[in-house]
Amino acid sequence: MHTLELVNVSSGYGGTPVLHDISFKAQESAIYVVLGPNGAGKTTLFRTIAGILNPYSGKVLFDGENLAQSKDARKRINYLSHYNALPEEMTVRNALGFYARIEGGDAREVISLLNLEDLEDKKVSDLSQGQKKRVSIAKVFLRERDLYLLDEPTSNLDPAVSKEIRDILLRLSKDKIVLYSSHNLYEARDVGTNLILVRDGEIGYFGEISDIKSKEYRVGIRTTTDISKMIDAKLGEGGYYVVSFTEPEEAGLALKKLVENGVLVTEMRQLDNPLQELFEANHKQSPAAKTEGGEKRN
Amino acid sequence: MVIAKRSVSLSKTFLIVGIFLGLLSVLISSLSDLIKYIGTTATPANAAGTGGFDLAAALPLVSVALQVFAAITFATPVLLLYVYDKNNGVLEYFLSLGMNQGDIYRQYLKAALMLSSSLVGLEVVANVVAGLMVGKTGLLILEVSGLVVALALPVVSFSTLIMMSFSSLQKQRVGANQPLGMAIGIFIVMPAYIVPFVVPSLAIAIDLLLAAVVAALSLLMYLSASRLISREKLLP
Repeated sequence: MHTLELVNVSSGYGGTPVLHDISFKAQESAIYVVLGPNGAGKTTLFRTIAGILNPYSGKVLFDGENLAQSKDARKRINYLSHYNALPEEMTVRNALGFYARIEGGDAREVISLLNLEDLEDKKVSDLSQGQKKRVSIAKVFLRERDLYLLDEPTSNLDPAVSKEIRDILLRLSKDKIVLYSSHNLYEARDVGTNLILVRDGEIGYFGEISDIKSKEYRVGIRTTTDISKMIDAKLGEGGYYVVSFTEPEEAGLALKKLVENGVLVTEMRQLDNPLQELFEANHKQSPAAKTEGGEKRN
Repeated sequence: MVIAKRSVSLSKTFLIVGIFLGLLSVLISSLSDLIKYIGTTATPANAAGTGGFDLAAALPLVSVALQVFAAITFATPVLLLYVYDKNNGVLEYFLSLGMNQGDIYRQYLKAALMLSSSLVGLEVVANVVAGLMVGKTGLLILEVSGLVVALALPVVSFSTLIMMSFSSLQKQRVGANQPLGMAIGIFIVMPAYIVPFVVPSLAIAIDLLLAAVVAALSLLMYLSASRLISREKLLP
């Protein structure tokens, strides 16, 4: 079990703070999804935790060790920037070998882990953006660390590869802390158990995703028969019968009623994402995020 | 070693130009003996004591400065790689691995010294071979070769450090601050071009003094890199 704690951290660029007095404590091994609009300070948060930026004030503690003062503690962190950070003139195998020589680990293992065998003899500069991203992610897994900071790891990746990455992260999260930023709110809900919402350089929300409630709980039901007369449902988006509930438990009761009436339910899913509502609510409240100096960095 | 190899693979033009300049400089050094020979058989227009420069005596020392310039050119791909790695996020990744600015500068500096040393080695061999061929004295060959080594390595260190610093400080990704660093590196050896003509008797001493001053400046810059250049300046 590891603990990541930020205590009154302010950090930024050129003396201008982007993060303002941030505090939170992540004390369970899990995936913490970091959300926030562009310019909110997500990348600055990652860079500060990774020790790339020194905080102007406050401290970042990992398992009680101050990251700004302990090189050893920083060696327990893996950081994936949204820059690929790959020597493009090298082949994939040599590029991963280059990093393996610096930080240890086995290039062959990560090539196999991320199914890069078909790319290993290609020059990095000849790869597509998605392929470069896969190689970039591979270098993060060269050595097992205790804290993973992944800034938009699945951007530019096709759905199948995104799923592979998420599966690896889910495996890792059993005994590691993973901070994961994404603009895909459905992916964020699928992969994360906890949420860190960054807004204008401050923490807008820190807690479990399951605790975030929608104002309205809309469920889409696919059936072979018309159910609009059995429950208060209307045929709507995507061919679903759409039903609105105030509590998730009511959905279970509706399903029970349908089954008792002999209806074959082929699919049932929540149509709205509570993260979407939370994100939009915070985005509307943060016009400053659009003009913040850190725009390019987030 | 890896950084030096990567630099070589990134740009070969500077390497070719460096080798060309280095060998040309050695040729210029050897021309002095040709001038001497002409001076003894024809009108001694350039001979000492006639009121003009002693070109024959000055050329070997001028060629030292030119050979140093060739070494700077030869090490320039390291700088290109540094800028490339900065823009590509490689330096950011190094920082995330726990390296500081000094650690990163040291890697690229070592690569620049490694590359320039290989050219300086070639220049020394060429000086010896060409010197023996045109009948230079052993002392003169030793003086020229020794000065090239003594001056080239500090000047390459200085210009590399200053170019990395300028490139870190520039705001535009494609800005042209690092060539300014190269110009300063070249400018700092200007006395080595002039002194052989003005005060030839002090030329060797001034070259050595210059080498010592530049070495001290380089060391100072290297040691203060972490304070002078903040970590954020290494980010893309």
